[in-house]
Amino acid sequence: MTRPSAAGATEQHPSAQSQRGLDWFIFFLADVQTGFGPFVAVYLTTQKWTQTEIGLILSIGGIIGLIGQMPGGAIIDAARSERLVAGLAVATIGVSALGYAAWPIFPIIALAAILHAAASCVLGPAIAAISLGLVGPNAIGERLGRNARYASLGNGVAAGVMGAVGYLLSSRVVFLVSFLFAVATLLSLARIRDREIDPEQAHGAIVRAEPDPDATSIFHLLKQRPLVVFACAVFLLQFANAAMLPVMASIVTARSSQWAPALIALCIIVPQALVALMSPSVGRKAQAWGRRPLLMIAFAALALRGVLFATVNDPALLVAVQVLDGITAAVFGVMIPLIAADVAFGSGHFNLAQGIVGTATGIGASLSTAFAGYASDRFGHSVAFMSLAAVALIGLVVIWTIMPETRLVSVRSAKPTSLQGH
Amino acid sequence: MSRNGSTSVILLTAILIFSATRVMADDTGSPQANPAPASAPAATKPSDKPADPPPSITVIGPADAHGVLGRDVRSTTGQNMGRIVDVIVDRAGSVRAAVIDFGGFLGVGSRKIVVDWNALHFGAVKGATDNITLDLTQDQVKAAPEYKEGALVVVLGASGTLQPLRFSP
Repeated sequence: MTRPSAAGATEQHPSAQSQRGLDWFIFFLADVQTGFGPFVAVYLTTQKWTQTEIGLILSIGGIIGLIGQMPGGAIIDAARSERLVAGLAVATIGVSALGYAAWPIFPIIALAAILHAAASCVLGPAIAAISLGLVGPNAIGERLGRNARYASLGNGVAAGVMGAVGYLLSSRVVFLVSFLFAVATLLSLARIRDREIDPEQAHGAIVRAEPDPDATSIFHLLKQRPLVVFACAVFLLQFANAAMLPVMASIVTARSSQWAPALIALCIIVPQALVALMSPSVGRKAQAWGRRPLLMIAFAALALRGVLFATVNDPALLVAVQVLDGITAAVFGVMIPLIAADVAFGSGHFNLAQGIVGTATGIGASLSTAFAGYASDRFGHSVAFMSLAAVALIGLVVIWTIMPETRLVSVRSAKPTSLQGH
Repeated sequence: MSRNGSTSVILLTAILIFSATRVMADDTGSPQANPAPASAPAATKPSDKPADPPPSITVIGPADAHGVLGRDVRSTTGQNMGRIVDVIVDRAGSVRAAVIDFGGFLGVGSRKIVVDWNALHFGAVKGATDNITLDLTQDQVKAAPEYKEGALVVVLGASGTLQPLRFSP
């Protein structure tokens, strides 16, 4: 298989203003999204919605979020200005937040949930595309590490601010705060200079002397073995990971009532803090060591975490085990867009590749919750955690045996003879 | 609220069906051909048929009775016990228990547990934001099994004993 090297890309030096604009854009967007996460169910309950109606709204959002991944990526690939599409998506989410706050009736909330899920499908790829369009493939690892740091900081700050708002004022005000964060997100987006985002590069395309219809076709992308293997690995990751914290948190609630909320809060904050600390070095290590060692570390940490959750009983030690969650989250937060960029480099379908991986993420996560819920009801929590650990171990083996290294040969270190890559 | 929305949709449908049946009934000349849909809008829309007797009306003062769905529950010492998400009624029609969504942080780790209706006290509920009081503490309810539709319902009573709620089919 001949793969183009990063030599096709030009060196880029985006302005500090654009880089910082992107930082803040990611930070505030994470704030906005946090408002839509845990608070929806609580808010609708206080508005006297039944559990059936709330479940329906959450399923609608989940299904749109799943089937919208690939179209969302394709929209970004087709867009001439990532900034414009991202701005429209953020505005849509802001309006949805207002809809939640103003009219908690079924048609409005259902529409807002659909709009929010659809806009989120576009925003994930849009962030990575803007990043790639700004810095180019040689510096993308570092930039994605920086992205993951600001997303994590945003999540943490939002959980604190909105938790306090929900507790002191009301869960309706949480959505007004989300709307204000959406305005801040748009202002940050405006700081990024549109002309510094190279649209070809943002789609993972390279400038060719003559068009290469084979390399740029969608089918060429879908036949890429690393992409298929990586999508399977991400599926296994989510299958093993998504249900771990919720199941563990409900055990903590059952075992220690008084400290449970504080312990669960710590179990959420500790990994976020670690992601904020480690992500930039993960981005650099991905360039230095390659992708495979980091992926293997992430899966090993996940498997170990499952085993420890199955065997450790002390709630305080469970918080310590969450350090492993931070490692897995930091690696995959950077790796998912990075490997998509590696695989799709030269094809112009970078964001579609992200959509494919995003679909695998969604399927894995929803199966995980269903499976772990069933397993812990039927066979107990220990068996559920051990099964999730086993799935993580399968992921480790998949990476070890069949996942190829996808790191591109850097334009600076590569000799002209090695430009064709491997 | 959505309930009002769906009620008005049902009412509208009923009125439409009603007027349709009335037209059909005029055609066939048998006004009692389909009396079932006519009963719903009878109270709101007078007709030439013999009307059903008007419903009895009870008026309750705004401070005397309230909805409970979504309302916060506190223990007698003020501990946060979650909020009511459902009410369990037996086939005789009496209210047996309430489902409360208990514990967790930002929706992670919360569990739905069932507490005896008699363990709940509504004396303090005068306005929209007042709390219901529960005769149980966090430590007493933490180990209760999770509520699942279709499975045995384990109700926590004030004395701390667990009693299954069972019906012969």
